[in-house]
Amino acid sequence: MGIGMTMAVAVATLVLAPIVAGVLNGIDRRFTARLQGRVGPPLAQPFYDVIKLLGKELIVVNRLQLIWAWGFFGFAAASLVLLILGGDLLVVVFSVGFAAVCLALGALSVKSPYSYLGGIRELWQMLSYEPILLASVVGIYLAKGSFLVDVILKDSWPLIAQLPLVFIALLLVLTIKMRKSPFDISTSHHAHQEIVKGVTTEYSGPYLALIELGHWYELMFMLTLIALFWANPIWIGILIALICFLLEMIVDVTWARMTWRWMLRVSLAVGLALVGVNLAILTFFNG
Amino acid sequence: MTGSFLLGFLILFPFVAAFIAWAIPSHGLRGAWVWITAAAMAIASIVFLLVTKGAYAPDLPNSESAGILIGILDLLLLLFFLYVGIRAKSWVITILTLVQLFPFVWLEWMSGRHPAVSPTFIADPLAIIMVLVISIVGSVICIYATRYMVEHEEHLHLGKSRQRRFMFYMILFLGAMNGLVLSNNLLWIYFFWEVTTFVCYQLILHDLTPIAVTNAQRALWMNLIGGVAFVAALIIADVSFETLSLRTIATEHPRELAILFPVFLLALAGFAKAAQVPFHGWLLGAMVAPTPVSALLHSSTMVKAGAYLVLRLAPAFHATPFSIVVAVFGGFVLLMTAVMALGQSNAKKVLAYSTIGNLGLIILCAGINTPLAISAGIILVIFHAISKAILFMTVGAIENRIGSRDIEDMEGLCNVAPMLTGVLVIGVLSMIAPPFGVLIGKWAALEAGTGVMSRWSFVVILLLALGSSVTVVFWLKWLARVLCAVPETETCKPTPLPAAYNVSLWGMVFLLCILSAVAAPLVTGLVVPAVDSWYNAKTSIGMTTNWGLTLDNGFVPILYFVVIGLVFLVAPALTIRVQRERVKPVYMCGENIEYKTSWHGLADGTFDLAVGGSYFSRDIGEEKLNMWAIYLGLGALVFALAMTLMMFQI
Repeated sequence: MGIGMTMAVAVATLVLAPIVAGVLNGIDRRFTARLQGRVGPPLAQPFYDVIKLLGKELIVVNRLQLIWAWGFFGFAAASLVLLILGGDLLVVVFSVGFAAVCLALGALSVKSPYSYLGGIRELWQMLSYEPILLASVVGIYLAKGSFLVDVILKDSWPLIAQLPLVFIALLLVLTIKMRKSPFDISTSHHAHQEIVKGVTTEYSGPYLALIELGHWYELMFMLTLIALFWANPIWIGILIALICFLLEMIVDVTWARMTWRWMLRVSLAVGLALVGVNLAILTFFNG
Repeated sequence: MTGSFLLGFLILFPFVAAFIAWAIPSHGLRGAWVWITAAAMAIASIVFLLVTKGAYAPDLPNSESAGILIGILDLLLLLFFLYVGIRAKSWVITILTLVQLFPFVWLEWMSGRHPAVSPTFIADPLAIIMVLVISIVGSVICIYATRYMVEHEEHLHLGKSRQRRFMFYMILFLGAMNGLVLSNNLLWIYFFWEVTTFVCYQLILHDLTPIAVTNAQRALWMNLIGGVAFVAALIIADVSFETLSLRTIATEHPRELAILFPVFLLALAGFAKAAQVPFHGWLLGAMVAPTPVSALLHSSTMVKAGAYLVLRLAPAFHATPFSIVVAVFGGFVLLMTAVMALGQSNAKKVLAYSTIGNLGLIILCAGINTPLAISAGIILVIFHAISKAILFMTVGAIENRIGSRDIEDMEGLCNVAPMLTGVLVIGVLSMIAPPFGVLIGKWAALEAGTGVMSRWSFVVILLLALGSSVTVVFWLKWLARVLCAVPETETCKPTPLPAAYNVSLWGMVFLLCILSAVAAPLVTGLVVPAVDSWYNAKTSIGMTTNWGLTLDNGFVPILYFVVIGLVFLVAPALTIRVQRERVKPVYMCGENIEYKTSWHGLADGTFDLAVGGSYFSRDIGEEKLNMWAIYLGLGALVFALAMTLMMFQI
């Protein structure tokens, strides 16, 4: 890809991804509402919310939390662009991992009880999904012989056929990243009385909008990663990703929020075990 | 000619400089002498690199007489250890010393065996990397120590200063380490190895408190276990293979069953020196020593010697079942120490556990045993030394400032000591975040894990993924306490740090950033040749293509991280200014009292907010996990030995 093409794709991703994510979030809220017997907000509500937040007055606790918010936004957006441009999956995972670090540090950089609790729980969430994500990416290498997304896209044999258990484990990661019950532990779309708004408690106005946009980029990142599991033709992968998104909404509505200890146990004992078994099968039959 | 002069300088000058430092009575003059020594060592090591270009393997002309001298000094050392053991009525120390003493005396003087070792010294790229780390990072820590010890003795209200003795051992140690990494003769390596044990013992008990003396003795006997293994390896190597050359043992008998015995024993000595589980107890106990000791010996250099030895030996067990066992062992240490660090609130102990874990990671790389993995290990050696040095020095300075090394007492440090907090944040992030070297090393290790020629590689991958995720949690948990700041109603004016701290801390940070940014040329220039010379093959370490430093599609990951980091973290840090009227207190679900973290509560009483860290001592506290760690570690070592004995195909 020439430099011009690369720039064009990057800019297109940066502009289109939030739009798609916003629409998906709108569908999410509407659909969830209908499942719960409510009418729900208009489909464009997430956009209205972000625009409203951007126009609000800036209220801050300290400088540090703002810096981390920028870090979260920047790395989340950059990770998505890198993934779309066909980058190295391991680099991308480290990048998105650092985005999560910035979010956690932003919450932990203020002496606020709810923010601090949310931040610490964010750390447990990271501990729950990071090993799975890292091991899954290595599994992709073992299946395809490369970390590069380009190579995966060209292969006619879908990833999901070689890594079915990894795929299931990644759905766990998706649930955690989307902050859906039962894993909406550090913050969620709905306010929780227990920790108010968790990691984003001390953010308001424009910076809350910035974090929301960062979350949107993260959502698109996860859905793209899932779509990669059927990369040829890619429309099947996209369809799978959308179906998983639908599944997430249903799971969210039917499950209650659990404790972080439960999340840790399930992720590591079940999720990581699934990935481990899949990797073992790959290495035992190849090595 | 210059090469041999520099080599001799790097090994012998510190011994001379140490005596001079000890002889100087005045603090100021001694401090100046330390600065001079530090500069001389650093410059000498860099010139050594430029002059020899990593291909220098001289034979010392009168190595026979040098060997005799070393033998005598070694004997004196062992006799000193015996004296320590008897004086302290410690049968462990006494027995372990005797078990070393008699075989050593037999080997050195009674066996009549004197295999010629050629070349005497090997200054290949790996040795030069170690020399650079020792001479530059070590020297900077000595500079730091000049200021730290002044504050330390003030706090202890010490009547008669003991800094002469301290600086003597610190500087002497640099020479011993250089000798260790540059020697090819295993007897000489053994001598320098025992010198480091001796210096470690003397420095841990420096403060002469009862706990310091106890922990120094524990460090001594655990390291003596390594010494026993070392002597046993020497004898087996000499008797079975007629050689005492490290290069011969490591590279010229690959995969032979018989060579695996001395290799296993040497690796065991390396594990003991590197405080791997089950030997981790001594390093934890060594944290009672003054912080420069922890920075120099117990993170950057001495413990690295253990990992360095395992890296050196890697070609010998390449593609054997023993190799994957070493990798799994390293991964187990990484995970175990990471979990134990989660339960620690003592900052120096957290750093100690992290050090042991990273050494386990380097050993994991040695176990994976591909060129990419060995490169990853070497990268980790370099960058972990720098990052840990920064972290220990900062914690030492913080401890002198606030009087405590407990993480809970560091709450809101960014309001009290913003400069130190800044360095601490950089130090912690350099351990877990891109583009800093430690993460690059972990990335390389993860990629290397895919290339293992074993069906059990998935275990290594899982341990690595899980271990590195747990490390992120305990580092961020620490930062959470440090950054837990009350709203800024007044700007905090940073107090200037003393010159020694500024030079050492910011100098190391600068070095870290430069090296992380130029990691690509560093790898191609130093690390790849290091791997090449020991694997006897021209390797192109494929990581995606060219170690990922420049990918196939022209992408440069480090550049990516640096740019994004600069734009979205450094730029906001430098430009965001918050106007005072925009600052509001935090939400506490109550009626805030002005900008304090207090609120009006029940019966109009005032309630203060208290935030605390979580350490889960009941579940993962040191007391709970230590026994498990020791049993599992011992089990792993026994299993490794069984692997060696049976060449069991798994």
